Amino acid sequence: MRSRKISFSIIACVFFVFPMILLLLQSVSSPWRFQSEDGFTWQWTSYQKLLQDPMLWEATLTSIVIGYAVLVINFIIGLFTGKALVSSPYKGKAWVEAILLSPILLPVLAIAMGLHLLMIRIGLADTLIGVILLHLVPTVPYSIKIFYNGYNQTGPAMMEQSNILGAGFWTQIFTVELPLLRPAIRSLTFLTIVISLSQYAITAIIGGGRILTLPLVFFPYMENANTSLMAAFSIWFAVIPVTMYIVIELLILLLPYSRLPWRNHR
Amino acid sequence: MKLFRNKILLLPAFVFLALPFYGFMTAIVQSLGNEEPLSHYWDLLDSDRFLASIAFSIRTAGIATILSIAIGLLLIRSFYKILVQLSPRLRVWIPMLFPHFVWGYMVILLLGESGIFSQIAVVSGWMESQADFPIWTRDRYGIGIIITYVWKEVPLVILLLLPVYSSIRPEYYALVDTLGGNGWNRFTTVELPHLLPVLVESFLIIFSFSLTAYEVPALIGTTFPEMISVLGYEWFYGSSWDDRPLAFASMVSISIFLLILTIIGYTFLNRTRLKAMRGGK
Repeated sequence: MRSRKISFSIIACVFFVFPMILLLLQSVSSPWRFQSEDGFTWQWTSYQKLLQDPMLWEATLTSIVIGYAVLVINFIIGLFTGKALVSSPYKGKAWVEAILLSPILLPVLAIAMGLHLLMIRIGLADTLIGVILLHLVPTVPYSIKIFYNGYNQTGPAMMEQSNILGAGFWTQIFTVELPLLRPAIRSLTFLTIVISLSQYAITAIIGGGRILTLPLVFFPYMENANTSLMAAFSIWFAVIPVTMYIVIELLILLLPYSRLPWRNHR
Repeated sequence: MKLFRNKILLLPAFVFLALPFYGFMTAIVQSLGNEEPLSHYWDLLDSDRFLASIAFSIRTAGIATILSIAIGLLLIRSFYKILVQLSPRLRVWIPMLFPHFVWGYMVILLLGESGIFSQIAVVSGWMESQADFPIWTRDRYGIGIIITYVWKEVPLVILLLLPVYSSIRPEYYALVDTLGGNGWNRFTTVELPHLLPVLVESFLIIFSFSLTAYEVPALIGTTFPEMISVLGYEWFYGSSWDDRPLAFASMVSISIFLLILTIIGYTFLNRTRLKAMRGGK
């Protein structure tokens, strides 16, 4: 067991921790040229340059707005669908589930190309709403899966009990289901935000280059920015979801039965 | 009343489904065009660029998927007891924090021709110059694409397989041990039946993603051979509008290919399940 722990630590550090450390180090050092003995030289200008770019801030703000909008819609659809699937024993549940999850297997690119014409026709092309709608396609199936699993683990007994005690629909959701579904909410938040931040092609197609998100700034940066600046930008891409996640984590604290003492008498 | 309310709860999900299905239907209609039926598909079959791209895409995505699943499975088998704790698990999930293309950039930084590894190789005297360093990014064989995907998907495989391993009851292992089975027997008789549905599902999710995602190959791939997503995107945004139906046709063909693969996967799963229920091997 002990040797196993050591080998795990080595593998985890080399393959999973080290790359992030590397990006961090490169972002605060001038580009490395070991041959000319230019090793680690401390600098801060890459972040200064990055944060002075007004495009970056515009894109960050747009990405955050899109990310949260996508998250909220995912949350509502996932919660309702998970609840419906777990509390109804009707036949054909497996089929409903399969249909709901099937968009994972369709190429998003094909769907975005197909929806482009519709978006132009109804005036949603080149708009924030159009991009938000498209970002739902690669995320909602995962949310449904996560919430369905969450409800399955909680089990219908928990919900029946609050029903018997006379809790209404919303009371039941807020006092029983959401507190128990906390792990599901966490994974959903994380997954949705990162997937939304990863979309370049479909944002470019539906946003028409007018909706500027972080990936749309990152790709052109590749051509003329130096390594330090790119490394700083890469770190920025991890800072955004972590910050957004912390906000959600604070909101989760508002749920009943959290560790905050003032939430415990309800 | 209760049943009715439960069905109402499914409404948002089905409204959402209209989006991908309408988009996909439009893509099919656009790919058929106004001329003789299927003409764009015949054009595709005549296009060497398309055929080379599809072969390259399936090969690259296939290798990346199989490697991700194999490595993920190996890691979780060896370190399951460690991975149930939170902090080791978070360490393994670090790559999931970054978008795919950012991880692709990290691979360029590390393994590119003037990347960190090639610099170290020269400084340590292992290689004469950076020109000796093998070309692993923007290469003809898709090595950079494969490395990026494997690195990003191994944590996902661990995420998907972890609940399976925690649901296996230790009594099963004890049974195999009492009957004199070895490690291999443990894997095939206890773990594999639990794992199979999740493995098939993971394969389909990762394969269809890496086959059709645009970002990573656009960043770290080369222009020939190119992944089908890059070709489709180029045809969609290309200089002439004549290529647009080809973009739709190529995307629809790849979707049909994925659909067939999914059906094969689930038929296979059902057959093994039936066999297991009948008590056969």
